[in-house]
Amino acid sequence: MNEYAILSIHGSIILIGVILMTPFGDVLGGFLVNKWPSTATKRGRMLAGLMMVCTGGFTVSAQTLWMHNKLSEGGSVCSGSELLNCDGLIGNPDYNTVPFIGQPWGLLGMVAFCLLLWLAITVAKEPLALSTQTFLKAGLGATIAGLPVIGLLVSYEIKEGLICPFCTAAHIANVIAMVGFILLLRMYESEEWAPELKKTRK
Amino acid sequence: MMDNLYRSEEASARGDAAIVVISLFFVGLLIVAFTSNPISTGTQPGERAPLFSGKAYNGTGWQTFVFDDLLTPEWSPNSTGDAPWIAIEFLDTDCGFCKTSAEKVGNWAQQYSSSVWDGPEVIFIAIAVEFVADSSRSEIQSFRDSNEHTFPYVDDLDRDIVDEWEVGGTPSYFLVQPDGIVAWNSAQTVNSIAWDAKTEDVFALTDFTGDNYIELDEAIEQLTKKYGGETQ
Repeated sequence: MNEYAILSIHGSIILIGVILMTPFGDVLGGFLVNKWPSTATKRGRMLAGLMMVCTGGFTVSAQTLWMHNKLSEGGSVCSGSELLNCDGLIGNPDYNTVPFIGQPWGLLGMVAFCLLLWLAITVAKEPLALSTQTFLKAGLGATIAGLPVIGLLVSYEIKEGLICPFCTAAHIANVIAMVGFILLLRMYESEEWAPELKKTRK
Repeated sequence: MMDNLYRSEEASARGDAAIVVISLFFVGLLIVAFTSNPISTGTQPGERAPLFSGKAYNGTGWQTFVFDDLLTPEWSPNSTGDAPWIAIEFLDTDCGFCKTSAEKVGNWAQQYSSSVWDGPEVIFIAIAVEFVADSSRSEIQSFRDSNEHTFPYVDDLDRDIVDEWEVGGTPSYFLVQPDGIVAWNSAQTVNSIAWDAKTEDVFALTDFTGDNYIELDEAIEQLTKKYGGETQ
């Protein structure tokens, strides 16, 4: 299968997540509400969107780990263009592992998005728990911590004059997740988080 | 803590989420593991040789040398074509053993690149390092010229390449498959161990001379012709 066809699958997962997090999520939520009742509320849609974005980030990170392995075997997985070229970056031993740890960047991405996904699922399961705010802050902190890492990887791209579309998709997923956690934190501090409680109080 | 876990529904939510996420992580890892066969970078047989580039003296001047340019990534033991193998010698122009072995290395370079040789072409490269005493590019040039070598000498006086290739002494020899996998390394603990690209496993080379030491020519004879005896 063409690498861009595979990339579009990861991109679709992230895109659905983004739509759920935006006002357009009302429409999409209407289709999902029978299967997932939590998507009836804005909070539910935001969390579902965040989970989709993290899942997309996870799958695209796993794909880059697979590419790392395939390139070590001597193959070529994504070198169709002089600019959009993963082989020159994921296959470059000077850049393709995490400094000090020596593990592929894809593995770090998988771990990071799993952590974010765990935070999102936990908040979704227990939105009124005492730890919710801590979890949202932890998610925000983790995604912000990802920014210097993204900066480092983008510096490699600039240095080599190449763009790795799969890596970029994972970077975008991290940034969207960061925005998602910011919006959720704001929502948590407002009455929108649990409108049902507001009604009960009245 | 266990008491809290039993009573707290929040703990249950975290645990449930953790089970989902850990399952997803391992499913992802298993898919990657079952659909790829990663090869680590290193200098032991079966590992991918570390890439390098630098300035090389070819008899007329110092020119840019890129190791990757010699590789044929699509090579396989069953493929046909004229992909060359690569023999690498790490030497120090001040090392006695390097001086005494220079003549035979020059002969091997001639022999395994000529039309008389019925196996695949073997490209020779020398990497000049500085282990024993101060060396210089002019010393490298005169060493190469005095031994009438025809292969390029790569300048590694700053020891970048030698450190990455984990070479502890000179002369050290490596035979690299056309696809960049190390087939044999003279400096390994058991000198006769080589890589079989067909079985993807190590095997022992035969010691023709009976001196309990495999020379580069013995490795070339046994490894390059292993895959059909003709140019692959």
